[in-house]
Amino acid sequence: MNSFLTGPLVTAGLAAFLALIISVLDRIVNNYGEVTMDINAGKRNYKVRGGSPLLGTLAAEGIFVPSACGGRGSCGACKVKVLSDVGPHLPTETPYLTPDELKQNVRLSCQIKLKKDIEIELPEELFSVKKFKSKVASIKNVTHDIKEVLFKLENPDSIEFLAGQYVQIVVPPYGNFKESVQRAYSMSSRPGDNGQVELLVRLVPGGIATTWVHQFLKEGDSVELVGPFGDFHVRETPATMVCVAGGSGMAPFKSMLYHMHEEGAHPDKDIWYFFGARSGRDMFYLDELRALEKKMPRFHFVAALSEPSPEDNWTGDTGLITDVLERYIKEKIDASKGLEGYLCGSPGMINACTTVMTRNNIALEKIYYDKFA
Amino acid sequence: MKNTQAERDALERMRPGHITAQGFLGDDHRSLPDIVEADSELFAQLGMDFDQVCDQLEHLRDAGQKGLGDPITIDGRWLVTTGDARGMLPCPWNDGLFHKNSILVQDQQSGRQLIFSDLSVHLLRAHHFCQGKGHAFRMEPELLKAVLY
Repeated sequence: MNSFLTGPLVTAGLAAFLALIISVLDRIVNNYGEVTMDINAGKRNYKVRGGSPLLGTLAAEGIFVPSACGGRGSCGACKVKVLSDVGPHLPTETPYLTPDELKQNVRLSCQIKLKKDIEIELPEELFSVKKFKSKVASIKNVTHDIKEVLFKLENPDSIEFLAGQYVQIVVPPYGNFKESVQRAYSMSSRPGDNGQVELLVRLVPGGIATTWVHQFLKEGDSVELVGPFGDFHVRETPATMVCVAGGSGMAPFKSMLYHMHEEGAHPDKDIWYFFGARSGRDMFYLDELRALEKKMPRFHFVAALSEPSPEDNWTGDTGLITDVLERYIKEKIDASKGLEGYLCGSPGMINACTTVMTRNNIALEKIYYDKFA
Repeated sequence: MKNTQAERDALERMRPGHITAQGFLGDDHRSLPDIVEADSELFAQLGMDFDQVCDQLEHLRDAGQKGLGDPITIDGRWLVTTGDARGMLPCPWNDGLFHKNSILVQDQQSGRQLIFSDLSVHLLRAHHFCQGKGHAFRMEPELLKAVLY
């Protein structure tokens, strides 16, 4: 053998030997055997192999706790209340937990490993969350930066959800991104169309998921979805709904409105829907919603442009949607049945609308929102 | 320049896959103190103050949020679009948690644009860290000068 090969071969051999030792040691040291997961005081029990993070172990049993970062501890979404001792909170968890959550031993399920039997509490609605395999049936541009994406569900082939809830798209590694992430989007499809899921995805500069959807995703691609999640839905009261959205915040309201129209759901409720955009190029679904307004007399659609261009020939309301909202609440909306606020958007938008609503006698506890936070 | 332990820990958390998929360093291979020192010198040369820059960025963000995600013209000069995602991001120095967002500022005067987040503003104000060269959210001092002043 040539002597120049000896060095690299010896190095490679040593590296392989060390890797083998590490692998064997890992199996011995991290072998926690079988452990029991007790969920909700004995309502569900699972015998699982110990050693893995709780988030992944739950997912392997078909229980999907919301997570946006793929278990890297960077989104703080996968909170679970742990009733048994799993050790002190880790430095990777504490930034995401409030003092009250720390006191109640709420943990990030991606950060704690199952080393012994564990007792946890989970909201009941998480048990109906599933992972769906789907195919992209269509992708349409509804504005210059918002795409309407329709996923045909394959396995399972249908989803049960409440209008207003959201799913998470599993974004595979692409380009320079080496790890899968999940991002949440409200469903814009009706619960009655349960063989498909429609999402509205706005391109966010630098956004991992939105860039993937806008620049890489194609019709026919296979995509995994996890859901449904969230408690944003129409309340069973006769109170008038005052809904506000902008951009892709349209999604849950589209679902709610078409569900209410086609199923005759919540027949006692009047609905006012305020949708804000900058100019004509940012406005969408205008004709559809005007048509729906004609078919459903209890529905009132108020679209407003904050900076209409001359070529928009806009004859509707103008100004910031919060100003338009305030004007309508003061002058046009009948509050005799009571008012409920429904909001979908950024924390800034939620705060601005909440301020206007509470100032106009809509109680804070009657304002429901899907806050992107 | 050598890193302190806190800087080494922060540097580790800035690598891709820890806090964000793309990390904070872009393709910059300098040490953390070197990046901070070089950018601080540039700030001084350009006559900029970290707090003043951050105040202006926060003003544009707050005013931009009134567009509810749509572009909105601020002070007749900047077109600002705010975008939000669910979730929070911790500072790599572990001294705060920030809403996951992005603010696009298009300066109609200079024709240039910059993107930042709540975390970017914190990194700038608290740590004088503009993020590594080549990173999408790097707050290039010269760009800040051109867009904000």
